[in-house]
Amino acid sequence: MIDPLRLLGYFLWIFKEIVSGTLSMTTSLFTPHGYSRPMIVQVPLRCTTDLEITMFASSITITPGTLVVAIAAGDEADDPPTLFVHVLFADSEADALDGLYDMETRLLTAMRRRPPKPVADAILRGAQGTQEGETA
Amino acid sequence: MLIVDVLIAVFVLTGALLMVTSALAMFRAKDALSRINVFSPATGLGMPLVLLGCYIYTLQHEGFSVYRLLIAIVGFLSFIIVSSIASNTLSRSTVLVGSPVHRYTRPNRLVEPLVPVDGGETGDPTAETETAHGDGPAQRSV
Repeated sequence: MIDPLRLLGYFLWIFKEIVSGTLSMTTSLFTPHGYSRPMIVQVPLRCTTDLEITMFASSITITPGTLVVAIAAGDEADDPPTLFVHVLFADSEADALDGLYDMETRLLTAMRRRPPKPVADAILRGAQGTQEGETA
Repeated sequence: MLIVDVLIAVFVLTGALLMVTSALAMFRAKDALSRINVFSPATGLGMPLVLLGCYIYTLQHEGFSVYRLLIAIVGFLSFIIVSSIASNTLSRSTVLVGSPVHRYTRPNRLVEPLVPVDGGETGDPTAETETAHGDGPAQRSV
């Protein structure tokens, strides 16, 4: 089921992400004020097997600026497995989720030879809705 | 010869500079999770670059051998895999032990879980604020 060429492309993309994350971390190091905007976001996964979840968690952690802090197991019914990710340099929660789901889509396309279902709209809107609630 | 020397120097010095960058970034980070987070340029890019420079140096001085190439590849993969798993373990234990999370960590979904919104409704802010007053080990802030 694994597509070796796409997986190689995924690893190259991860390398590009590591380099760009390192650059953004270095530039923000020499910014006088407002070093980082830490947040812990909740990422319900579309990954199902242990291998996919492990690879996704490792990819997140190896990228500078994002770190997996907790994993919630999914039950078989409707709760998907969920990662809690500590993000340092994202502009907003929706922005951070966009980046993470982009990575997940690339990984799952390489692992399954076909793209996964798009992210449930309710999750992205939930992130935006609570932010509006907090500012109100 | 000269170009190879320059290449080795660039790889090793860039790797070493990334280590310094991560060390300085750890001073500016404000809580334990951020310090683990800013360490990944050193482990994900810095150490593999130093290894690459060292391998090219060995290649230049001792010639090619399959054995050394194998060692270099194993070392490279180990750096990538071990450092990411070690960071996961560190962050997991940091949260479990109840180390304080900085108060500007916002949103903190460990304290206020994300509620998926059904239909055209917007999020329910009152539900969020009620859960935000929970008192758990991961919920203290500095």
